[in-house]
Parts: sequence; structure tokens; C-alpha cells
Amino acid sequence: MLRSDESQPRQETLDQYYVIDGDCHYMESFHDVAEYMEEPWKTKFENSNFDEKGAKQNLSSFFPFSTGDRQAHGKIEREHSSYPDDPETPERIREGMESIGVDETLLISHLILAGAGTTADDDRQSAFAKAYVEYMREEVLDPDDGIHGLAPIPYGDLEASMEILDRIEDEEAYVGACFVTAGATPPLGNRKYDPLYERCEELDLPAVFHTGGAGLDEYVRAGYQEMIETHTLGFLESNMSQIVSLVCQGVPEKFPDLDIVFMESGITYLPGLMTRLDEEYLKRPEEAPLLEKKPGEYITDFYYGTQPLEISAEAEYLEKCFDMVGTDSLMYASDYPHWDYGRPTTVADLPFLSEGEKKQILSENAKEMFDL
Amino acid sequence: MSDADLIEVKSEVEFEDGDRELVDVNGAEVGVLRVDGEFHAVRNRCLHDCGPIAEGAVGKKLVGEFVEPGKRVEKDYDDDEPIISCPWHGWSYDLETGEQLADDDIVLPTYDVVVEDGVVYVDGSSS
Repeated sequence: MLRSDESQPRQETLDQYYVIDGDCHYMESFHDVAEYMEEPWKTKFENSNFDEKGAKQNLSSFFPFSTGDRQAHGKIEREHSSYPDDPETPERIREGMESIGVDETLLISHLILAGAGTTADDDRQSAFAKAYVEYMREEVLDPDDGIHGLAPIPYGDLEASMEILDRIEDEEAYVGACFVTAGATPPLGNRKYDPLYERCEELDLPAVFHTGGAGLDEYVRAGYQEMIETHTLGFLESNMSQIVSLVCQGVPEKFPDLDIVFMESGITYLPGLMTRLDEEYLKRPEEAPLLEKKPGEYITDFYYGTQPLEISAEAEYLEKCFDMVGTDSLMYASDYPHWDYGRPTTVADLPFLSEGEKKQILSENAKEMFDL
Repeated sequence: MSDADLIEVKSEVEFEDGDRELVDVNGAEVGVLRVDGEFHAVRNRCLHDCGPIAEGAVGKKLVGEFVEPGKRVEKDYDDDEPIISCPWHGWSYDLETGEQLADDDIVLPTYDVVVEDGVVYVDGSSS
């Protein structure tokens, strides 16, 4: 097999910066997590013939659970990760980080991203999330080595969510709470979620909202043909819907010290959303009576992971987007090892950023926000 | 303010609650309204798309109060904040200050209204 002589292309660029990755995925195994599940889920899972009956770790390759194949039709390889077919092992995390030039990382569950597609019960996601928190704490996370965790919040089950927040209260390994934006009904600005935000604010834990692929096939309407359609639109819509809900329902006014982060929809959607929402608000302010300023100003108070950064866009346009969102609101995120991950070079190469701004985005904003 | 700045509208006794009159103030059309007994005067040109704001609905500002986490936001109308809304697209302004309710950097010109000897005037120097 042909191999490049340069095992680390652009290493010289990567070496210039200390990099904190705001969104990396640990490809945890159902089997490993099940060891930490409470009954009856542990026995249910162990007796389910998972794997043996063909429901593999990566169950999207042939019969997609959402349109398309995350391997992009066999094109994707990950030398330093087991993605997409096999479970990850803790020792490979560092290897993966080094392969893309990351010094510290925040791990988000891979499997919970599909959990939002579970509509039959509100128990399964909670069982998984609780077990995941224990498994990662016990076997994977290593804050002294720069491997931090975000705890998945099964927000459909408030009681379980509060238990998880209580559980991680004094756990140094967990630096934030993760809300998967796909599938949240009612949307996450609804008052029913207030206790979760109140508790996050109290614990000084940022609320990280991460889009996901669950339900993508029918995210608004059924009938899309390809993943290029559903992934382009659905990932965006899941984040946009929650941003609009949080802002209009006044979550930033209710919980002014809560740090809010959105991951994995790039940057360019934000100016469009800000300007459209502001335009609406000028005509209908009575529908968002808690707001003390225009919605777009709350949106720029939030933080955003950069991935998948639209680096092929015209630099002038991208620069304007960065200006509107603000470099103090952006943090580098890889989404590694997923198919469309971005290396720190996506930020380091941008011609319109100063060295100071690159450092802000590549590490300083995350360091401050997550108190690393 | 001098008498030369006063633009006559009409007599106070004829100016009933809910009435509106348009007058020319230094070349600008100004709407004079009587709401709950109080006189207000605003430029009749919405800052959004030049709609006839002075002809729009008059109401009160809806305000919300966050009571406690998980509870409904309590919403009510503030009797002390009369507002006027443009009939074209609904841009609303505080009748007293002229501030757009969604953005107080946008300010509709307002004018002082004075009553002298039973006659209502707009003070053309007051915007």
C-alpha cells in the first residue's frame, strides 16, 4: 500500500499552537458501557444478541438508521481510530489526538448522538447515559493527561438528568454537560428544562449543545434521497431550532451565568440566523418578553465549535462571518474521528485571523470557558 | 420654546380620548394622539419602511417576569407604557420616548404637546 513519506503533513503548522479540541468523539462500545448499566438494562442488553444478530457497532453501513453511510461509501479511513466499525480503546485516544495535532481534548459520547432517535421510551437513553458517565470516569477520562469529558444529559428524563449532574458535581474529569440537539421535543428553551440549566449554572458547568444524526431521515419531512441533503440541512436545523428556542424563551436572561456552547454546524449559518431572528424580533418583540437586547446579541454571547468549518467559502465572506460571531465566541473543534472532522489547520490557515485570534480559537477560549 | 414654535392642533375640549390629528411640523407630518387623557405626538413616518405609524394601533407594552425555574413566565401589559404600532409591519414604539420596543437605538421622533388657553399645540422645537 502506498504511504506518504510525511506521516504528519503540516506538522510544522500544528506544532506552533497549543490546541484544545472542544468536540472529539470517543467511539465507546455498547458492550463496555453495558458493564456499568443498572438492571434491568444490563441483563436486557446482554441477552439481546447484539452483534451476533447483525446489529453492529456501526449499524449504518447497509440499512441506514439515517440516510447515508458515515464511511462515505468506503472512502473514509482512520489510521488512529477504530472508526467506524469497532469500539475504541482508551489508549488510542492520545494516538488520535496526536495524529491531528491536539494537546487536550473534550470527549463526547459517540453513541448518545443516535440516542435521540429513540422515541419508544425515555428510559433507555437515561440508562445509557448514566452507565456511560461511570464507564468513562472509571476507564477512559484522564484530566491530568488532558482528556476531559462532557456528561450526556438525557433531558427527556429530568430526574435522571439531575442524578447525572449530581453525580459529576465533584468529578474533575467532567467539565461540561452535553445536550444532543437532535430530537429535543419540546425544544430546549422550554421551561421544563429550566432545572437542568439552573443546576449547570450552580455547578459552573457549561451547557454544550451538540447536533446529531438521530432522526435525520425525517428531521422535518420524509423523502430525502441522500446524506448530502439530510446532513447539510438536518445538522444545521437541529442546532438552529435549539438556538432560537433558548434565546426566545429567555434562557440567557433566566440563567445569566450559564455558559452555552453549540457544536458541529460550522459558522456560516450563524449570521443568517442572527439577522433573520433580529428582523422578526423588530416586528414581534412581545413574543419574547424576557429579552433585554436583540436576539442576535444573545447568539454572539454563546460559544461555537468551528467544525465543520466552511473553509472553501470565499475568504471575504468567511471573515465577515467570523467578525459577526466574534473570535471570542469560537473554539476549535475536530469532531474526530467522524467522517467530516477538521484539523487545527482549518483555523491556523485562515488568512484573515491574527496570531492572537488563532490562539484564542485554538485553545484560549476553551481553556477559560471549561476552566481547564 | 417660543410661541413661534407652537403648531396649533385643535381645542382641548374637542380633542376626545382616542382622537388623532395630523399636523405639519416644519415640513414633517406629525400625528397627535390622546390616549387615556394624555397627549402624545410622533412623527408619522415609521423608521422601518416609512409607514403611517401615527395611524397604527395603540396599546400597552407586554412585559414578562421570570418567577422561578420551571414556571411559566408571567406576562402582563404595563399600564404605564403606552405603545403605538405601525399598521404596515408592526414595528412598535414607546409613545412617550419613541424608542422601538425591540431596539432602543431606534428612536421615532416625538414632540412635546402643550395646552394653552384651551388649545392643544405641538412644540415644533421639541423633537
